[in-house]
Amino acid sequence: MDLTPNEGQTALQTATAEWCRGNMTLEDCRNRADALWTGLEAMGWTAMTARGMGLDHATEALVFAELGRFLAPISLLSSAVARRWFEERVTGKVALALTGSVHAALRILDPPASKMVLMAEAKKLTLLDLPDAGAEGDGGAHHVPHAPTIDLSTLQRRRERTGAEWTADDPTARLHLQLLSAAFAVGCADAARNMAADYAKLREQFGRPIGWFQSLKHICSDMAVRAAAARSELYYAACALDEHAADAAFHVAAAKRLADQAALDNGRANIQVHGGLGMTDEAAAHLPLKRAHLLQFVMPASRETLLA
Amino acid sequence: MHIGFTAQETRFREECRDWLDENVPAEKRPIDAADAIDFDKAWQRRLFDAGWAGINWPAQYGGRGLSIVEQVIWLEEYAKARAPWIGANFVGINHGGPTLILNASEEQKAYHLPRILKGEAIWCQGFSEPGAGSDLAGIRTRGRIEGDELVINGSKIWTSFAHVADWQELVLRSEEGSTRHKGLSWVICDMHAPGITVRPIRKMSGQTEFAEVFYDDVRIPLANVVGGLGNGWSVAMSTLSFERGTGFIADQVKHSQEIEELIAAARANGMIRDERIADKLAQLRAEVAAVRAMTYRNISEVARTGQPGPEASVIRLFTSELGQRLERMAVLLMGEDVLDFAYGEDNAVADYLRGFAATIAGGTAQIQRDIIGERLLGLPKSR
Repeated sequence: MDLTPNEGQTALQTATAEWCRGNMTLEDCRNRADALWTGLEAMGWTAMTARGMGLDHATEALVFAELGRFLAPISLLSSAVARRWFEERVTGKVALALTGSVHAALRILDPPASKMVLMAEAKKLTLLDLPDAGAEGDGGAHHVPHAPTIDLSTLQRRRERTGAEWTADDPTARLHLQLLSAAFAVGCADAARNMAADYAKLREQFGRPIGWFQSLKHICSDMAVRAAAARSELYYAACALDEHAADAAFHVAAAKRLADQAALDNGRANIQVHGGLGMTDEAAAHLPLKRAHLLQFVMPASRETLLA
Repeated sequence: MHIGFTAQETRFREECRDWLDENVPAEKRPIDAADAIDFDKAWQRRLFDAGWAGINWPAQYGGRGLSIVEQVIWLEEYAKARAPWIGANFVGINHGGPTLILNASEEQKAYHLPRILKGEAIWCQGFSEPGAGSDLAGIRTRGRIEGDELVINGSKIWTSFAHVADWQELVLRSEEGSTRHKGLSWVICDMHAPGITVRPIRKMSGQTEFAEVFYDDVRIPLANVVGGLGNGWSVAMSTLSFERGTGFIADQVKHSQEIEELIAAARANGMIRDERIADKLAQLRAEVAAVRAMTYRNISEVARTGQPGPEASVIRLFTSELGQRLERMAVLLMGEDVLDFAYGEDNAVADYLRGFAATIAGGTAQIQRDIIGERLLGLPKSR
């Protein structure tokens, strides 16, 4: 038993965070360059999950928590997971569909320039051959109207479910997507906590940094507690998946539930700590909160799994 | 990272399970400290004789000399087997002993540690005073040096098991005129010494578990000072950091048993059909899992670096509040039966009422939040 990252994993975490600071800051998440995806691919994050890479879930979770801290594109989740389960089928960026049935249109997240779509269904993952370009039948991604979502880093569009489909029936496939989504939420909770703590050290009122006051300090401490609980359970869940534990589905669900709550509660608390500034569009405090709202709908933990 | 155990650790777990299966007493531990003392001592002696006391304490003082991982395995199996709370031995096993291991002289360790492990010596804690609670540095109980003795005057409060204890970890002001963290000493105080008066205090749950202690010219040899005269604050902090780090593993493990019992109870009485209750239970089960994950993370940190990381105080806070949420849920599931609670009963209501201590004793939840904000997040110190 060892739930601390080893040296290699720590180095990978550090390298990921460093690259993100230089190339994918949280503050710029609403204006990301088209070239960013090429950068993410070049760094290997869309394919680190491929079988041939031989990385364990624990390492993936650590890296995706770092990426989540910078509000990395949502389709990084679907692209990476698709690479593991549909290896030979996948080309390029894979967007993420939230829900869908044969009759209702799919809600596709982060579609720009995607080649395919990944969707979780009751007991399987489905890969759909729904390229974003030419969706309206008149060719060219630039002509396709994408709608915004509450998360300013993520666009969306509605699409009918058409075209070829492939499925992955292995129950681990869904858990893989849920685990990495939980890792994104853990990173999001961390981002809000750090932003709040940094601001509480900087902003002064009554002649002191506001973090001196217990009322503010305790808000920040609770953010740290929520983030730590979620992160620990994420590590445990990743190991449970790696070791084929009988209760792996429960632990992945527990990790997602705690991470979603931590992301949402920390997102809200971060606005409060920032005061009036937190209310503004200009400051970045609203960005983790809005990402948290989006993540609530990506592979949510079911009560049945948690009580099973 | 991995959560599996080695073959050797798994064998150790089986040994624990086998012994507990055959040896956990059938009778319940009496709820009141004075009634339970014989039970507590006998049970501790049995644990010692079978080699289960002080699993990670040094072997030369009667421990097993094993790692903290084996200690956790033992506690997990202990909770699963529903073995009794160690009761009056709690302070010796979880505070006094570990502090002595870290700070005491060879003679002090050789005398006291085996007696703690055998259940022969009951310890209590003398930190809080009527005027020094969260502000522990406000301690006023003083020890005047006379020859090779300390002459002690003052009082302590909230001292669990004081009325049944043989020894006390007593923090007092040994330097006249000193203030705050300076001039304090951590002393092994003989609770049978002349001049000590213990006034037991009844809790709102009905038990008499803690007490006020008065010192009237109590004479204690200077040889009983641990870690050097005037170093009491740092010795006391080593106890508290141990407490925040690994001292509460037993509680953390116990919660995983409790949540399963609550879910079973809610299924049995049909209350789980209430969506709000089902959702709360689901949430609690996720939180209990997180406590285990945090504990494992902390233990891994200890195994790797020799000490708990700064996140230990996070576990302490999260666990104490989670314990209270579990106790509230147990009471909720009792429905109207709560109204039948009477003093002396040992049931979920008693646990709920006693459980308020979890966010008060050993540093209130508010003090824990200060520590997390200042040490983990680097916010400016308010005190």
